Amino acid sequence: MLVEFELIQKARSGDDAAFNQVVVAYRKRIFGTVSRLIGRQEDVEDVAQEVFLRLYYSLDQLRTSEVFEPWLYRLTVNASYDYLRKQRRRNESRMADLSEQQVMMADAVAGGRVNSEEQRRRQVKEFVGSLLDSVSEEDRILLMLKEVEGLSIKELEKIYSVKENALKVRLFRARQRVLKAFESSKKVVKRSEAPID
Amino acid sequence: MMNGSDRELDFLFAEYRATVEVPEAGTHFMPKLWERIESRRGFAFQWKRVTQVFVGSAAVICLFITGMLVVPRSAAALNHATYLDVLAEAHPTENLAAQGIARYDIPESNR
Repeated sequence: MLVEFELIQKARSGDDAAFNQVVVAYRKRIFGTVSRLIGRQEDVEDVAQEVFLRLYYSLDQLRTSEVFEPWLYRLTVNASYDYLRKQRRRNESRMADLSEQQVMMADAVAGGRVNSEEQRRRQVKEFVGSLLDSVSEEDRILLMLKEVEGLSIKELEKIYSVKENALKVRLFRARQRVLKAFESSKKVVKRSEAPID
Repeated sequence: MMNGSDRELDFLFAEYRATVEVPEAGTHFMPKLWERIESRRGFAFQWKRVTQVFVGSAAVICLFITGMLVVPRSAAALNHATYLDVLAEAHPTENLAAQGIARYDIPESNR
């Protein structure tokens, strides 16, 4: 834990200075997670504030120190999920009917043919974002927590309060869907590269 | 077993993690957070107040209804007692004796 449990208890009993310290300690971590989950830098601060706001109003439900971090993660996941749902960023299109721009993106990412590092970064981000559009917001977040955040199944179990096997099945299915979208995108790239007779 | 696409996907996820830049919190982060906390606190306070008024009114209504139910019952008990009196008055013992239902003893002074 980044802070002592006594500090959390003080915050819980209404000590605003203690709550400020908790926010400062976890701010960077929450910003990082939210950035990777929602993928839009301009809204990270807003979602992070929502996380801490929810933390403030639910602190009195906290009983033990061990559950604090998984619980904070859960608040982060919920706030990010609400944001993604509100934004309706998910489009129903699959990689099979990729737009020309997306094909170019997949091509560039796969072949490494991009002009600058900055451009490549942007393309990787957008490409992964479009791959994740093939799964629901819930599965997108779950996959992100596992594959990008690097959380273990045990940690995910605590966050979601779901049995290990159920999580594994859900993760496997989500990954399979993303993998299928990834393979489709590669096929599209290959087709676009094939010589015209 | 991992195939080529699996590995590529893992690589892509790792690259994604590296490419996503984490923004620093702006100078207004904390003041804005407290602003949001306060505004919700205001709403929560108002909501609490509305709830208290509602609960208070409900308690008063309950008491009133209970009172309404109790008072007519005691009145009914009173009526019940009066009913016997009324019955006795409507059927004097003399009449009942004339019909052979009850025995009527003539008072000593009248003999």
